Amino acid sequence: MSTDENTGAEIVYVVDDDQAIRTGVCNLLDSVGLRSMPFGSSEEFLTQWSNEAPGCLVLDVRLPGLTGIEFQEKLLNSGIYIPIIFMTAHGDIPTVKTAMKAGAIEFLTKPFQEEELLIAIRKAFSVDRARRQQAALERSVKTRFTLLRPREREIFDLVTAGLPNKEIADTLGLSIATVKLHRGHVMEKMRANSLAELVRMADSLKGLEKHHSSGKS
Amino acid sequence: MMFGMRLHPPTGVSDSLIEYGLRSIAIAGVFVLLALLWSMFLQHFIAYPFVFLFFGAVMGSAWFGGTIAGFLSVIMSAAVIAFFFVPPVYSIEVNATSRTYYIAFIVAASVMSWVSSARKRSETAIREARDRLEERVLERTAEIERAHLDYVESERRLRLVTEAIPQQIWTAKTDGKVEYCNQHLLNFLGCSAEEIRERDFISVLHPDDQDAFQEAWAQAINSSKPYEGEWRVRGASGQYRWFLVRSIPQISADGSIACWYGTHIDVEERRRVEQALLEAQLELSHISRTLSMGELTAFIAHELNQPLTAVLTNAYACRRWLGAEPLNLDRAVFTADQIIEETTRAGAIVARVRALFQRGEHVREEVNINHEVQKLVGRLRDEAIRRGVVIRTKLARNLPRVAVDAVQIQQVIFNLAINGIDAMADVTGTRELCISTERADGGNVLVTVEDKGTGLDPEAVDKVFQPFFTTKQEGVGLGLTISRTIIEAHKGHIWAAASAAGGTAIRFTIPASP
Repeated sequence: MSTDENTGAEIVYVVDDDQAIRTGVCNLLDSVGLRSMPFGSSEEFLTQWSNEAPGCLVLDVRLPGLTGIEFQEKLLNSGIYIPIIFMTAHGDIPTVKTAMKAGAIEFLTKPFQEEELLIAIRKAFSVDRARRQQAALERSVKTRFTLLRPREREIFDLVTAGLPNKEIADTLGLSIATVKLHRGHVMEKMRANSLAELVRMADSLKGLEKHHSSGKS
Repeated sequence: MMFGMRLHPPTGVSDSLIEYGLRSIAIAGVFVLLALLWSMFLQHFIAYPFVFLFFGAVMGSAWFGGTIAGFLSVIMSAAVIAFFFVPPVYSIEVNATSRTYYIAFIVAASVMSWVSSARKRSETAIREARDRLEERVLERTAEIERAHLDYVESERRLRLVTEAIPQQIWTAKTDGKVEYCNQHLLNFLGCSAEEIRERDFISVLHPDDQDAFQEAWAQAINSSKPYEGEWRVRGASGQYRWFLVRSIPQISADGSIACWYGTHIDVEERRRVEQALLEAQLELSHISRTLSMGELTAFIAHELNQPLTAVLTNAYACRRWLGAEPLNLDRAVFTADQIIEETTRAGAIVARVRALFQRGEHVREEVNINHEVQKLVGRLRDEAIRRGVVIRTKLARNLPRVAVDAVQIQQVIFNLAINGIDAMADVTGTRELCISTERADGGNVLVTVEDKGTGLDPEAVDKVFQPFFTTKQEGVGLGLTISRTIIEAHKGHIWAAASAAGGTAIRFTIPASP
């Protein structure tokens, strides 16, 4: 099976306090041409990890200090949305449930087959990529939104709220022609091809304001 | 002045005696000649001037030449005066009118010579005494300087020695304040030599160790005996390290303590190893005592799944390295090594788990059971202190040696001790655990572990050794079962009884080795 698609910049961070396991997992990833970095503890991982590098985290559930599940929560709370694949030597149902609910990609029971790990990693990469694309999109929408003038923002809000031009003109005390002109500018500056697209942008902006949701679409 | 040279008295050597005599004659001759010439010259102007100058010659000769020269000059002067000045002139004769006068001159000149030379002698003696004194002073000063240099050097050497020793060394006054210490101690505490003199040792001790130290220190002061103990000392980083602290007093002549000499030996590593050992044992014991069968299985599964995971991932990797284009043999070999290592680890885990429940033959060694008890008590010390329990031992002397698996027997005593400590968790009075050994019938050795806990119900006494019987909320009841298995494998017996002190006593016997 080809794994060439994954030989990009992605890094698999492997965190397990058992040195033999992180060496083994990294060795396996090496052999399929995936970049990986081993860590003995979650703290060690945090000092090395950078948001710039895409990738995923392969995390042992039983760790010294914070458990894997607690660490997952800590990451979410500090706005780190790296996809997580859990490993455990004895997966009890409640732990699995908690982890999956919090967005874990997969829960591998030790010892696992290579295919299980590689499929999970591939899935994690695609989730990470999608989340990064989404985030990039949101960032560019936001940047474009900041280019709008105050009047254009008002028009943007009203248009995306579903109001027809006439009502907008009445609300703002403008002529329909002026509204149309502004509306044209808004569409142009936001690079929206249709009203539907503009509405989606408005939604994502609202989403950004409320809470930076995870990469899951 | 040619006569200004210092003349030493004869030293008994004939050469210098002759030299002394010749010099005396020369000095007397010169003085008398001078007096004669001057008198000849002066008698043209003054009537009878001759006598006074000869007095001068006698004085000068005695002064510069000594007694002999003085005496010679008296004779020479007398002769010269008789010849030149006393009538009849140019004859050695002295006429009757001048005789009295002439004798008076000789007497006066003799006295003058004697006084002058005596004066000279005493002055010389004084000067010599002064010179000798000066010399002595110089010598003594040099000696003192040398001694001081020696002292400085020996102190420097001693200091170097104390610095070369990797331990921390200090001397302290009777109040415990440090007087001198080596750099190691200063470095560890992170303070200067001045600061350390102001500090109380107790202020850098771990709060939990301060009472024990105070006690040892007070006892050492009262008995004037050395003291020793292991305490945690706070370093410059704020972290505590274990030290073996040893100190001996220097006793002064009146029997009081003059000062203390002490060393601190870092035993952190040793303590850590001991602690790790105890924790491992606690964990094992904990597993067998408190886990349910399901949990026990999960524990074993977890322990085994770890190396199995490493083996499996490495095996997959190995297959890929071998199938890689080009072939990566180095990585394949490395991976195979990992597989071997982890498989060995899995095997060791299986062996460990089996050992926990094993009843098979073991390596037996002949031991004195008292030593095993003492070793265990030492290792339990921290745990006992933490739980407020005092462990007492009553060990019989002259016990026969027993052939046992020492590790297993320690495990049994350990299980019993921990059970006893657990049983006293709710006791408000003295928590005392007593471990005793004695000689039983038939040459057996009897070990008793007795607590002052809540005791056992009479019907429970018969059941405690059955598997899964427990009186503890979180216990599973395997500790005593395992203990019984071990003791029976040693052909001994183990039983429980109510203790006279109100708690529980577990006893076991081990037959003496043949």
